[in-house]
Amino acid sequence: MEILGFLMDGFRGALTPMNLLFVFIGCLLGQIVGALPGIGPSAAMAILMPLTFGVPPTTALIMLSGIMYGGMYGGTLTSVLINVPGEAASVMTAVDGYQLAKQGRAGAALSIAAIGSFYGGVASLTAVVFLTPLLSNFALKFNAPEYFLLATMGITATASLGSGSAVKSLMVGVFGLMIAMIGTDPMVGVNRLTFGVMELMDGIDFIPVAIGIFGIGEVLASLEDRKDFVVLKTRLRDLWLTAQDWALCRMAIVRGTVVGFFVGTMPGTGPTIASLLAYAAEHRASKHPENFGKGALDAVAAAETANNAAAQGALIPMLALGIPGSQSTAVLLAALLILGIRPGPMLMSQQPGLVWTLLASMYIGNIMLLIMNLPLAPLWASILRIPYDYLMPGIIAISLVGVYATSLSLFSVGITVLFGIIGYLMLKFELPRAPIVLAIVLAPLMENSLRQSLMLSSGSLAIFVQRPISAVLLLVVLTTLALPIVRHIRDRRKRNSFDE
Amino acid sequence: MKVNWNFSLYVQRSSILVIGLFLLALTLFTLQGMMTAEAAEGPKGPVEITVGTGAGGTPDVIMRRVAKILGEEKLVEQPIVIQNRTGGSWMVAVNWVIGKKGGYDTLMGIAQPLLTTPIVQGLKTVYDQLVPIALFVQGDLMIVAQPDSPFKSLADFVNEAKKNPRGLKFSGSQTGSTDHMVVALLEKAAGVKFNYIPYDSGSAATASFLGKNVDGLVLSLGEAVPLVQSGKVKPLAVLTEKRRANAELKDFLTAKEQGIDLVWGQFWGLAGAPGIDPGLVKWWNDRLQKMTATKAWKEGIDTNFQRSDFIDYTKAPAYMAEQHKIYLQLLRDIGLAKQ
Repeated sequence: MEILGFLMDGFRGALTPMNLLFVFIGCLLGQIVGALPGIGPSAAMAILMPLTFGVPPTTALIMLSGIMYGGMYGGTLTSVLINVPGEAASVMTAVDGYQLAKQGRAGAALSIAAIGSFYGGVASLTAVVFLTPLLSNFALKFNAPEYFLLATMGITATASLGSGSAVKSLMVGVFGLMIAMIGTDPMVGVNRLTFGVMELMDGIDFIPVAIGIFGIGEVLASLEDRKDFVVLKTRLRDLWLTAQDWALCRMAIVRGTVVGFFVGTMPGTGPTIASLLAYAAEHRASKHPENFGKGALDAVAAAETANNAAAQGALIPMLALGIPGSQSTAVLLAALLILGIRPGPMLMSQQPGLVWTLLASMYIGNIMLLIMNLPLAPLWASILRIPYDYLMPGIIAISLVGVYATSLSLFSVGITVLFGIIGYLMLKFELPRAPIVLAIVLAPLMENSLRQSLMLSSGSLAIFVQRPISAVLLLVVLTTLALPIVRHIRDRRKRNSFDE
Repeated sequence: MKVNWNFSLYVQRSSILVIGLFLLALTLFTLQGMMTAEAAEGPKGPVEITVGTGAGGTPDVIMRRVAKILGEEKLVEQPIVIQNRTGGSWMVAVNWVIGKKGGYDTLMGIAQPLLTTPIVQGLKTVYDQLVPIALFVQGDLMIVAQPDSPFKSLADFVNEAKKNPRGLKFSGSQTGSTDHMVVALLEKAAGVKFNYIPYDSGSAATASFLGKNVDGLVLSLGEAVPLVQSGKVKPLAVLTEKRRANAELKDFLTAKEQGIDLVWGQFWGLAGAPGIDPGLVKWWNDRLQKMTATKAWKEGIDTNFQRSDFIDYTKAPAYMAEQHKIYLQLLRDIGLAKQ
């Protein structure tokens, strides 16, 4: 109950007019930055940091963290409406959200994303408030072997993602893995597949790839066939959630919260990986996995809930240990340093005022963002009333400008255009596009952590069974790999017995 | 007709006059601009400092602090913007700055990868194309062990490594990073071998250590002190020439005191684009020197347990050349050099 007292003090600090104003500014900026493709919340926090010079450190942190979780809400908008992921963690939303928009259900997708984000955010925040010391130790139990298995879980899901054949999905997944191989070898520093091009030394970033294959690819495809885009019907009723939608998504939100939060607390991951894994997990848990990729509302719910849950979960290693749990928390830690506060395991005891006011402000911020997003969902969805012919040039422009802004180099603009063409071809050949993204995000984690694991164990594979968490994960991975085969054999046997 | 003709002549003449005056004004203006540039009264517009790490990396934090203090103390009136140009371990950033030949508004943060990446990647040396303005932040390092380990000193740690070659594990950031070089130096100084496991970042390596996956870790003092105070790491040795005087640091033994000749650290500074006006270099040098004397700067340095020895524009090039030679030799010794 001591914690409740601290939290009340925190609210007292956060509810001053000045702090409320900065919560609002932060959330609004986050919403905008999240919605615009390219620059994500962490880059925006760094760019806007000078705005906070001159205000007290607590107020500055309140604003910066507002950008962090505001971005998670905002990213949904462009993903759903124009199939351009607004920020990295919304990429899976683009997969199903845009299909929903095509079916005239953009409003429902945006609403469920706002509700999911709010639920995920508040639930994770409450866990941060009460369980930080406990969970920080648990998060540290995840290291290379566990990360490898988590990434493997995500990668193996690629086979079943997408509508058509598993072979097509696997092909695309392998293509994604090949792209992920480009760059400097993380362990020994050798260049791989860079052909001496310096811009490729750090590999191909996945934001230009995602914006290309989803956003630009979609625009190119619709240039030749404009009939497939249903201009939004005007009935407002269609824009809201139905009772059926709600029943479908309730559990997806709960599962998304749990997956997102735990993945978020781990120092080696972040909201992007969290939402990918939540999408993959939801695909397994869902009663209608065949709908994934064609506009599943529960997929949007899971992915969007998970990214906000992870954004707040990442505070746990930051507050308890001074280790960032995500790129955004790394910027928050940098801001602390610049403001003259030394982060570390003692932060909560040395700066209780700052920590608790920050946490309280995040409750307030999440409520503000829910208000900004839920009632406005139909309004945003109305953007689709604009005929697509007029939207197209705008989509191309903000996509390319956004990509340029992330790296300030025309090289990534070229990459985006290239992947736009690849995305277009994939649409033509009816290849699923989600596995590429999954592979590019998860491959580095999978590769690095496998090699780190083997270095930790001096080459012995036993490390995957000696560690309890890793052993459990391994069992899960093996089961999910074996299940389809077992099912296949059983089906065949059944069929054989019928034949006889 | 005649009137019209006269009128058009009038228009013609006056327009020639206007254009002539305009050109004259432009020439004067440009001349004046050139003259002031030669007098080097500082930059004429917003200044951009390019760093090769993402937001939150140590060089980024240092440069943001520099920009903040230069602005707040009114030492530089023009706004200073930090640009993170990531890619190719600083090579994208440095090539961008090199491409800005003579630019008055383009500065580059100096950090070790500027010197080491070309060595590790087998690329053309780049640091010597920049014009160093000053080096003004030094960071010291510490080797730590698990708090529940039997090792009481670096000497104990090294003795165990002698008995058990490659048995003790270090986590650290990427291959060829400072952490990696320190571990290699320790191997060399003590004649032992460790198992070095590279992670994507320093914080990932710290997480791995705190999760008790490895035995040793190299930390900056700013990272180490809070972890030591909360009992999460056990200090083995500070890698400085002499013990640090700060209250929090004075009890930490140096490696030298324990009979292991290992002194190593990091440094950061600022450089100009190639061909930068020498007057401007001096101007920046003076402003930075004034900045390092401010209270705000000293407080920041103390918070992070860094040092701020000012190596000015006359000495910085030689200092960097010397460091480059040391890195090249070390990276060759540990088999990472491709130069």
